[in-house]
Amino acid sequence: MRSSTFLMVALAVAAAVFAAGLLASRSHYGYLVFAGIVVLQYIVLATAWNILGGYCGYVNFGAGAFFAMGAYAVIALERLGRNPGRWLSDTYFELLIPLLPLSLPSMVAIGGIVSGIVGLGMGYLTLRLRGVFFAIATLALAVVLHTLVVNWDFVGGSRGHTVIRPARVAVGPFSLTSIEYLFLLMLVLAVLALWVARSIERSRLGLGFASIRDDELAAEASGVPTLRLKLIATTVSGALMGMAGAPLPFYLGYTEPNTAFGLGYSVNAIAMPMIGGATTWSGPLIGAVLLGTLQQIATVTITSVWNLLIVGVLLIAFVITAPVGIVGLVREFLRTAAPTRPTSRAVGLILVAGFCFVVGALGIIFSLQAVQAGSPGKALLGGAGLVAGALGLAASWGLLKLQSWAPALACAAFFASIAVTSGNLWLAWEGVIAQSLTIALSAAAILFLQTRWVRLLYRRHPVAVPVPA
Amino acid sequence: MTALLEVGGLSKRFGGFVALDGIDLHVGAGERLGLIGPNGSGKSTLVNCISGALQNETGSVRFDGRAIDGMPAHKRTHLGLARSFQLPRPFASLSLVDNLRVPLLYTVGRRAAGRSEAGLEQRCLELLGLVGLEAQARRWPRDLSQVEMRKLELARAMAAEPKLLVADEAMAGLSHSEVEDIVRLLLRLNEQGIAIILIEHIMSAVMSFSERIAVLVSGRKIADGRPEDIVKDPEVVRAYLGQ
Repeated sequence: MRSSTFLMVALAVAAAVFAAGLLASRSHYGYLVFAGIVVLQYIVLATAWNILGGYCGYVNFGAGAFFAMGAYAVIALERLGRNPGRWLSDTYFELLIPLLPLSLPSMVAIGGIVSGIVGLGMGYLTLRLRGVFFAIATLALAVVLHTLVVNWDFVGGSRGHTVIRPARVAVGPFSLTSIEYLFLLMLVLAVLALWVARSIERSRLGLGFASIRDDELAAEASGVPTLRLKLIATTVSGALMGMAGAPLPFYLGYTEPNTAFGLGYSVNAIAMPMIGGATTWSGPLIGAVLLGTLQQIATVTITSVWNLLIVGVLLIAFVITAPVGIVGLVREFLRTAAPTRPTSRAVGLILVAGFCFVVGALGIIFSLQAVQAGSPGKALLGGAGLVAGALGLAASWGLLKLQSWAPALACAAFFASIAVTSGNLWLAWEGVIAQSLTIALSAAAILFLQTRWVRLLYRRHPVAVPVPA
Repeated sequence: MTALLEVGGLSKRFGGFVALDGIDLHVGAGERLGLIGPNGSGKSTLVNCISGALQNETGSVRFDGRAIDGMPAHKRTHLGLARSFQLPRPFASLSLVDNLRVPLLYTVGRRAAGRSEAGLEQRCLELLGLVGLEAQARRWPRDLSQVEMRKLELARAMAAEPKLLVADEAMAGLSHSEVEDIVRLLLRLNEQGIAIILIEHIMSAVMSFSERIAVLVSGRKIADGRPEDIVKDPEVVRAYLGQ
């Protein structure tokens, strides 16, 4: 697909998501828009991190700091914009007064530029370091920036800073609430980040990045100007991370350094591309949608305290069982199961494995809630759900790894999920549509796994095809 | 014969250890030079100083009439000075075609801007054909054998369309027939007018390949001349066999 076509498709998807968001926002599912903004924020952050971390192989532990740089650039501009005369009269910047206050998109752009410049500076200082030393340097940078912001009174220091969101924002002929407006802004940023990442990946620049990731010395010997390319990567990555964080003050209303520089942002920025698959643009997208959604669900059903635990457990599981991430796992599967072109059998199995994974992960999160609920019936079902969820996760891995035990285990997991879901329906008549859909899809998946051509693929010893003499 | 590469009084120290001590060396256009010496004599350090992976402290390196001291390695590659590595260092996550696309896009493709995608692909396959790897074009380096990796290494160096190719122990650890394979390949490249510096331990290969041989011992050049004179040189014999 050409880059311009991709942009069109991405914008169309974004428009559809925005329409759905508007519907949700104006019905009683308004919270979905709040949650969606966080997920989108993670898509931008993870994609941005991946440009340096995944494409070039330089692990940046300071993603949270770049994110916060964007947020604090916006806070500074917002404070300036409230009373520009007070700060800028009789200075060299007097000419800027009529331009203030800035609109949010231009503040986001400036936040991106500031973070990009910080990224460039960090690159100059640290890119001669390799591997773990570079990672430590980025961590140090995060601590330094955090300390600077805590002691910078203009943006509120450790007291934090409050932004009052406008009640409504006019976008062309439409009047949006400010949360809808932020949702739209984050969607645009997500499309921008994905488009930039994908364009880089398929360009000369992307190939140069890949050569740096694989072997810097050999890249240099092949004529790749490695230092310049790494500086481009830190700048682009830093700028996009800053743009991800720039709308944060408007989203939160009240921002203080510990929130903006939160550990969660740095950890998620690393974990999402690693889990999704770090060498392609789609990896961070998948990882961010998956982990971001799981964390939002956990926040609503259990408590947000569990968020980092979920990320940590999944990251460990993936590093051990599938270091290439979800995209890598699927690619490996396709290479073995359908070497020439993707067959309907292979695509079907990928869908089943994906469904199995989602059912497993959601099953675990909802079961944790049920276990804590108190009623013995629910707790028992919750316990069963936990086991079924774990089975589901293992089965989805086995299906993609072409393990001979996987179809049987997947069937067991689907049967368990049907049983647990029916139990839930019987105990409390809620979420009927979602639960019935789960039951129907699980049954379909079981039937699909029983077909002869799927069983052939998972046979332990493939039958040798006789070679004609 | 005009000198393509001129190394004058080049020295390199690692802390207190003098790895190279006042090396003078020249290579003419299209010449085949063998560079030999016992282990630790500084051959690879010299290669690294010439190719830019290391920077020399004193002395000068001139290539094609330009001083290239202090120039980063990629710029030297752009000028037409390519190298292969002693241990193959392929780009592991890229297919063979993409392995060659990197130097093509960053050296030749830079000059001939707007080179078409199809033309690029064609050139990659041509280069793979040159070293006999066209059948593996869509595979990954991990699928290759040792000797195929060496060939890929040479093909990647060739993709930069060099005037001088420095082959650092391209044959170490290969079997007799594989060594002959690589020597034939190098001779074929030389016929296209590319000067080659061959760093090697396998004497039969060096003797049959080189027009001239330079000998390094403990960071100094002790002999430089025609192969048949070098093997009779008493200093070389002493360095290799002891007294």
